[in-house]
Amino acid sequence: MRQSSLLPGGFETLEPFAEFWAADTAAKRAHCRDISNESSRQDFYDAAVRLIPLALEYLDTRPLAELGDSEQRLMRLVLSFGHVAMAVELQGSEEAEHAQWRPFMQITTTPADR
Amino acid sequence: MNELHQYQKPESAEALALGTDPVPAGPYYQDDYFALERESIFKRTWLNIGHVCELPEPGYFIVRELDFANASILVTRARDDVIRAFHNVCTHRGTQLVATDSGKRSTFTCPYHGWTFNNTGELRGAPDFERFYVEKQDCGLHEVSVEVCAGLIFVNLDPSPTQGLRDFLGPFVDQWEQLPVARATTYSEYVYEINANWKLTYDNFQENYHLRFIHARSGGGGAVGEENPFGYPIRYGFHGDHRTQEIWSNPSPVLSDTQKFAFGKLIPALMQKDALQHPFGRSYWATFPNLFMIGTPTQPFVHYVMPVSARKSRGVIRLYWVGEDTNASERFGREFSMTMARDVHSEDRRVIEAAQRGLNSGALEHIHLQSQEVLLRHLFTRVDEKVQAYKKALAGGAV
Ligand code: FES
Ligand SMILES: [Fe+2]
Repeated sequence: MRQSSLLPGGFETLEPFAEFWAADTAAKRAHCRDISNESSRQDFYDAAVRLIPLALEYLDTRPLAELGDSEQRLMRLVLSFGHVAMAVELQGSEEAEHAQWRPFMQITTTPADR
Repeated sequence: MNELHQYQKPESAEALALGTDPVPAGPYYQDDYFALERESIFKRTWLNIGHVCELPEPGYFIVRELDFANASILVTRARDDVIRAFHNVCTHRGTQLVATDSGKRSTFTCPYHGWTFNNTGELRGAPDFERFYVEKQDCGLHEVSVEVCAGLIFVNLDPSPTQGLRDFLGPFVDQWEQLPVARATTYSEYVYEINANWKLTYDNFQENYHLRFIHARSGGGGAVGEENPFGYPIRYGFHGDHRTQEIWSNPSPVLSDTQKFAFGKLIPALMQKDALQHPFGRSYWATFPNLFMIGTPTQPFVHYVMPVSARKSRGVIRLYWVGEDTNASERFGREFSMTMARDVHSEDRRVIEAAQRGLNSGALEHIHLQSQEVLLRHLFTRVDEKVQAYKKALAGGAV
């Protein structure tokens, strides 16, 4: 038997990605994108792309302040997905080059961090 | 076919009045020119350094460094709700009073000998003060001029500014007060350091000529398209030292799946907060000397470029939002919007530094500006006017 689930029911297939991608601030999520490699981004993207709308629908049913641990983790994965989508859908083969320049734009604070 | 694009029209009289000659390159890298800009412009102009949402109630304070003047500015909101600004300098022997960049505290105690100041600036207490040869009321923190417009906090290092903020901003005041930024309660922020002159940095954001080359992947083609391949704006405006453009909107922008999805998640929240519909959705304000604002509701950013030296600057980019994240969708939409803008801006930063490296060599005496770079020409013209006037005053012994 599994001890406790990392993510809410229905999102189990994203569990393998939680440890790396469910970072707790926008700056850390951007950093995950910077240090990831192409195949790990693609794997996460492929696994998540169809679940993201469902995850937001699910999370939207409750106030952000009341998210439990597994829901919080799902929220963070959704936020990280946005960063990864920029790499996968737009930067494409230029992503590795682009990643050298992005960290100079240092994220200091966002509403999601507070 | 719609109306003619700017690049197909004859240039306006206002634009042509600025001339067509190349612009000297020296002012974009030389130390002596920067020293004159610092004195004639930055030390006597209103500069945006923050927003009232950082001081939501009495007791809050922020500290901002103005490197070009070696100044640190403390901004407070006291019990009377008034926002004040001071040099962050203890009036005993000059120690920097507050070492953190923000917080909540109604008194400030100097770490050196314990002088304590109220957030209204008065010296409230000082150990063994009887042994000094001065009165407490003469030891208040040194005030800096501060004013607010549309929630944006501006300071002016001139002890008696020649113009109040509202006169300085002119027609922008009414427009900005209709924008969500005037009601903003929070923001997403990223900052950067750049080895580049402040004008060269700022200029990058005043022209669309580079969009198709530098932002081919990240840019989304919102402001360029088949009909308008170089992204000419619909219109330029010149307002004293400031300028505006109305950005052209591609009727069929190429957006990625997640871009479409994320904006779809953000838009209902913007609507609910009455932050989606306003008359300035494609407006762009370039406020002298170093501030930009964009009206785009989904990416409402405010950006300033603070000079550090002739060849070094610091930028602050904020997307101001109304209200905290109300739900997961809004949170996702906001973070994605910031991520997109940051991808674009990191491409800008890289190419601006490359331009600076070239200019620093002194190989060029002049730079050439085309008609779409007229806002760059306007900035240079306005800067140089002030620099030359200051130089003349210096030579005449008036400064
Ligand atoms: S320098 Fe501040 S108390 Fe002495
Ligand atoms: Fe750009």
